[in-house]
Amino acid sequence: MDTTRGKILADKVGMAVAGHSSHLAAMAGLKLPVESHILQAFVSEPIKPIVHHVVSWGAELFYMSQSDKGGLVFGGHIDGFNTYTQRGQFSKIQNVMECISSLAPFTQRLKLLRHWGGIMDMTPDGSPFICKTPIRNLYLNGGWCYQGFKATPASGYTFAHTLANDQEHPLVRDFALDRFKRGGELDEYGIGNWTYKQ
Amino acid sequence: MRIPCPHCGERDHSEFRYGGDATKQRPPHGTGDIDTWHDYYFLFENPKGPHTEYWQHVLGCRQWFKLSRNTATNARVAI
Repeated sequence: MDTTRGKILADKVGMAVAGHSSHLAAMAGLKLPVESHILQAFVSEPIKPIVHHVVSWGAELFYMSQSDKGGLVFGGHIDGFNTYTQRGQFSKIQNVMECISSLAPFTQRLKLLRHWGGIMDMTPDGSPFICKTPIRNLYLNGGWCYQGFKATPASGYTFAHTLANDQEHPLVRDFALDRFKRGGELDEYGIGNWTYKQ
Repeated sequence: MRIPCPHCGERDHSEFRYGGDATKQRPPHGTGDIDTWHDYYFLFENPKGPHTEYWQHVLGCRQWFKLSRNTATNARVAI
């Protein structure tokens, strides 16, 4: 690999670059089943402990938890089109606020402390890849769609196993790059980057 | 983001639905193997820059049209 700090030689290379997997893979001549979309997240002003776990809601893929500092951390679905801008659209902010205020009306008087947009690798079935690639000794961990952060420990553990043994960990055998070709789509939420199917 | 509908004019993006890359060429029916169709359907160029794509004005005139947009800035690009 040629980097800005010089050449790095390795027997095995793992790719794990959420949001830009397509671009890193393109350097190795691979085209991925990935489209980059924007997902927004929100933090309220700090309040006393009110939830000690994640509350999730199928509508708008809404979720809410509380940070150690007391702020409610919440979000919803992707904005609905491919972009790298990291600037969220207001209509989605409105949707998520409607979710939190209908699910937990006491939040209506809270102030929003901050919000941001992050770039997600969206895959056609909404599930990630933890797998080998058609290129020998090149491994991929990406396409995490909505769920990257919460899955980090299991993702790291199974990816390390895949790299070390040159064979997928039994838990992630179905998260292969060629699953669409084999008719092996994973039964997740199921629309991934195809937001027009909603 | 504001999107120019060819029929209704410029409207907020929330009235529209994104419909994917408009430059993909569908292989003719009855041709190609599983790889041809897999690559057509499931692989994406996903550029960070100019992208020509389909949009539908679902909450307006419901027309499908093509739009060229820079995915790094959301600015419209002349086709």
